[in-house]
Amino acid sequence: MAGTSDPHASAFSAAELEFLAEDEIIEIVPNLRMDALNFISGDFGPFRPQIPTQAPLWLAVALKKRGKCTIRTPEWMSVDKLTQVLEAERDSDKFQPLPFHYVQISRLLFDHAQGDIPDTYMVRSLIEDIKDVRFHKIGKGLESISGEGTFALKLLMPSVMLIGFSIAANSLKNLSAMEANIVRPFVTRALETFYKLSSSDMIQETDHAPNRQQTANRGPRRQLKDR
Amino acid sequence: MKIRTMKLRETHAAADDSVCSILWASDLGHIVTASSSDNAICIHDASAPSNAPKFLRNHREGVTALALSPNSTCLASGSLDHSVKLYKFPGGDFETNITRFTLPIRAVAFNKSGTILAAAGDDEGIKLVNTIDGTIARVLKGHKGSVTSLAFDPKSEYLTSLDSNGTVIYWELQSGSTLHVLKAIAPNNGTDVSVMNILAWSPDGELLAVPGLKNNVVLYDRDTAEKLFSLSGDHLQPICFLSWSPNGKYIATSGLDKQILIWDVDKKQDIERQKFSECITCMVWKPEGNALAVIDVKGKYGVWESVVPSTMKSPTEDIPGLYFKNSNGLLLFDEEEEPCASGNLSDLNEDSHDDFEPLRRKRSRKHSSYDDEMEDVNDELETVSKVETRKKAFYGHKENLSGRSGSRNMMVTAGTKMQEPFQPGATPAQPGKRHFLCYNMLGSITTMEHEGYSHIETDFHDTSSGPRVSAMTDYFGFTMASLNENGSVFANPCKGDKNMSTLMYRPFSSWANNSEWSMRFEGEEVRAIALGSGWVAAITNLNSLRIFTEGGLQRYILSLDGPAVTAAGYKDELAVVTHISPPLPTNEQILEFRVFNISHGSQPLRGLLPLTPGSNLTWFGFSEEGQLSSFDSKGILRVFTSQFGGTWLPLFSASKIKKSEENYWVAGLNASKLFCIVCKSPETFPQSTPKPVLTLLDLSFPLAASDLGADNLENEFMMNNMHLSRIQRSIEEREASGLDCTLLDDEAFTVETSLDRCILRLIASCCNSDKHVRATELVKLLSLEKSSRAAIKLVTALKQPNLAERFNNILEEKLLSDKKENIALPDSKSNCNGSVKPEVASTKFFTAEINRAAETAVASPVHIFPSTSNTRARNAEEPTKDKNGKSEESKTMTPGRTIDLKATGKGNANGVHNAGEATKATKVDQLSSSRPSNPFAKSSSHQGSSSLFDSLKKTKKTDIKGKV
Repeated sequence: MAGTSDPHASAFSAAELEFLAEDEIIEIVPNLRMDALNFISGDFGPFRPQIPTQAPLWLAVALKKRGKCTIRTPEWMSVDKLTQVLEAERDSDKFQPLPFHYVQISRLLFDHAQGDIPDTYMVRSLIEDIKDVRFHKIGKGLESISGEGTFALKLLMPSVMLIGFSIAANSLKNLSAMEANIVRPFVTRALETFYKLSSSDMIQETDHAPNRQQTANRGPRRQLKDR
Repeated sequence: MKIRTMKLRETHAAADDSVCSILWASDLGHIVTASSSDNAICIHDASAPSNAPKFLRNHREGVTALALSPNSTCLASGSLDHSVKLYKFPGGDFETNITRFTLPIRAVAFNKSGTILAAAGDDEGIKLVNTIDGTIARVLKGHKGSVTSLAFDPKSEYLTSLDSNGTVIYWELQSGSTLHVLKAIAPNNGTDVSVMNILAWSPDGELLAVPGLKNNVVLYDRDTAEKLFSLSGDHLQPICFLSWSPNGKYIATSGLDKQILIWDVDKKQDIERQKFSECITCMVWKPEGNALAVIDVKGKYGVWESVVPSTMKSPTEDIPGLYFKNSNGLLLFDEEEEPCASGNLSDLNEDSHDDFEPLRRKRSRKHSSYDDEMEDVNDELETVSKVETRKKAFYGHKENLSGRSGSRNMMVTAGTKMQEPFQPGATPAQPGKRHFLCYNMLGSITTMEHEGYSHIETDFHDTSSGPRVSAMTDYFGFTMASLNENGSVFANPCKGDKNMSTLMYRPFSSWANNSEWSMRFEGEEVRAIALGSGWVAAITNLNSLRIFTEGGLQRYILSLDGPAVTAAGYKDELAVVTHISPPLPTNEQILEFRVFNISHGSQPLRGLLPLTPGSNLTWFGFSEEGQLSSFDSKGILRVFTSQFGGTWLPLFSASKIKKSEENYWVAGLNASKLFCIVCKSPETFPQSTPKPVLTLLDLSFPLAASDLGADNLENEFMMNNMHLSRIQRSIEEREASGLDCTLLDDEAFTVETSLDRCILRLIASCCNSDKHVRATELVKLLSLEKSSRAAIKLVTALKQPNLAERFNNILEEKLLSDKKENIALPDSKSNCNGSVKPEVASTKFFTAEINRAAETAVASPVHIFPSTSNTRARNAEEPTKDKNGKSEESKTMTPGRTIDLKATGKGNANGVHNAGEATKATKVDQLSSSRPSNPFAKSSSHQGSSSLFDSLKKTKKTDIKGKV
């Protein structure tokens, strides 16, 4: 899976994100009788016809493809709930709580279980709208960070920059996987750059050798974290 | 006649002539005005006209029509902006856009009870809107021009409407059909929207007043729509508005000649007139008093006081008593929907006790019509109660909610009726919709009537393994069905002479062609059907139970004791419910159930079927394990048990689940869960599309709120006890028939251990709340000896030494009595052949007991260990299986079991050694080798036991901590 993404870009590919989202639990109504399934992630089932049960999304989709179940739309995907979220999203700067993988989950459901979603068209357009609003917010957030960043650069005070990021991080609460993925390359690269700048600052003040070692050490550790 | 002038107050500024409307609320305090050139509705305070009025500016364009519900709580307005809005009155809070049109609205009107709002305008149809939920009850089409006036007949039978071409149409409200069309009887205004045609019913509903073509008012008959007489006089131009006085004695008319005339209807003469500077477009009588509110085309309004000369009767005298009758008769059902609907009626009734002097003709007619009406009411009540009983079968606990005064008398009539027969898992027929004939845990049979014949579909929940059944066109009109894995059976009641009652069986798979069969019943009607393995049963109205084989052979015909209620089949067993007597006056159905075994030709069970007082049986059937179960309309599930000589246990109560907005529609159950479809109130049964989803609810006893505060534990305790007794009974049955019951023994042991676990936790909570007597009682109920020991440890840990002592005594007593029993009744099953050596036992008690026992034991050739040795000895055969148990608790239990095993094993081994049978010894060794400790080492087994108690103690402690 890791092989599909560019090892240097610290972002997941769309396929990888979908793969991760497929582990989310969703409610299905099977129309077959099957004993409980024991997986590493846990036990699911037993499956009895017309009795709702929990299953990971990948299993739900696999069963759905074979016509063995109907998927119950999660509560947050109802028109009422989404309308509320969209309004709140438009009104405030904060991100509204939605499932971490909401984009992928809804996408998978639209692709495979369109018939099981009431008001499909409405739900689809609401989710699109919410996505747009949130992406727009992220764009604006990044702009403000870069604004503060340039200000910080001018003052040669990376600590101000870090404060800017921490503020941004607070406002980025409830960020979903897809959105985090968009921010990730920019933030990591920016941090890296600022780190370099600040360390070159330090270089002038102190001697070179230990600092270089530090930067050398820094690289791989960070990469490890990303994985 | 004198001519006066009146000063009018400006309220709606209007440049051009516009249609203005005015209302006088029956609370007397408020006058409502509106104008078609102004988007505001004004609510004026009639008693203080100088106060600034309240403006409601919800419409985007001019308001053309106003209507106030009869109880003055709801104001409706129609506007040029195509919408009809509802407001609270007198507050004026906007409530809802009740309906919309594609063209401007010209008229709105409420019916007598305020439940229906009629609205019409330039659009083609008149919409009848249900004011409670905003649904469109009916659209009446027939007018060519735009409808300018609507009037409900005060008796709520007709609606009359008048269009701008002068055509009057009488509509029958019940059917929505046109009764009479009177073409071109009123002035034709063409497209002139500034002048409205108007029509109005007299308050007693006998006369309809319509402006005539000769500047007069024509009065038409209520039923025949014949022209009765006309009022003609001093109007020089056509009449544009008219209004009846509250008692129906006078009519006020306004003409395009800018004057208002007051007419005495009986004398057919104008008695008063008033000239105005502008044409009056709307006027209204004061509900109680001699005054008339008017509004002109310029939007100026005023109140004309003492309209009727004081020498004549007041316009509010002798208000027809019709209101009275209506409020008690026809309005009964409306009242139930809207309890406040009768608010103003009582005010009006105050005047109606006086003498009552209408025309002779009218009076006689009124009497006859009143009698008719009473008959209608009676008919209606009867039909309602019939419907009620049929519906009741599907009511959850709705009755609890609707136990208001309005519906009381209906419920009484329904209560004395015997419950109609029903099929478990069927929903009532709904026109135009698919409904269930049968829904069970296996699948469903649905039907929908379409143009005289029905379309029946059979679906299995498990689409992968169930047989595929093709849809069927049904020419018989089946209303009953039953389904199992082998086939389905259908039946229809007889409809008249031509359509005989038919029973049809449809197997799903058969080796022979054409294995469908049907039976016809001449002069007999099928009431309930059931299906089992290899048989079909039908109960008819002659109270005979007919049993057919799968192939269609008529096998048995039995006579039942009473009219059938329902029937259910499970494998060989057929359960039938019948009435045995009319219901008690306290509204309790007296039902009897009988269970037949078809293949044996026997009747294993028979008894009365208990129901919650005031409820009906709504579901009846077998659980997945074959337990007879019933569900009533109060939401109580009962399961038959053989305990106490065969009784019913209430195992689920919908009211115990604190969700009043949900109704449960039962589909089936198993030993621990109820499968049902949850319906949001007031729905009591599911729709067939979308496919309903089953919800699992835990079975639980409706326990009283205990001072212990451990309801869950108490419930678990009772459930476990019930399961245990059920298993023990089936063990007995199997043993009696000489079958192997190892599996059941296993099950019994697991239930026993979980029961003990539950009792231990109960003991802990009893100790915590100082219920020592209860704790002692609980200890006596422990079945496994080591659980008793655990209980002693537990109370010691909880620092209750006196309890510990008591428990100790109980345990000793128990062991002693067990021993005596065992010695008296030696168990042939035990494979322990040798005598038991006293040193084998690991604890003090054991040693003491067995020492004593050994003396007698030597004499007896067979001896086993005390207490529930059956299960333990068997358990010893599978220690490894038990050791693989997952949960911590079962781990703690396992060592305990192995200790017992050790003891038995040792006994075995010793005995075996003595007998010199080496093979058995190795076997025991193998068994013992699954344990880490040496089975023959006494000390290690001691350790083992103490560590067991430690671990038990630990778990108990954590339990207790968790609870605290």
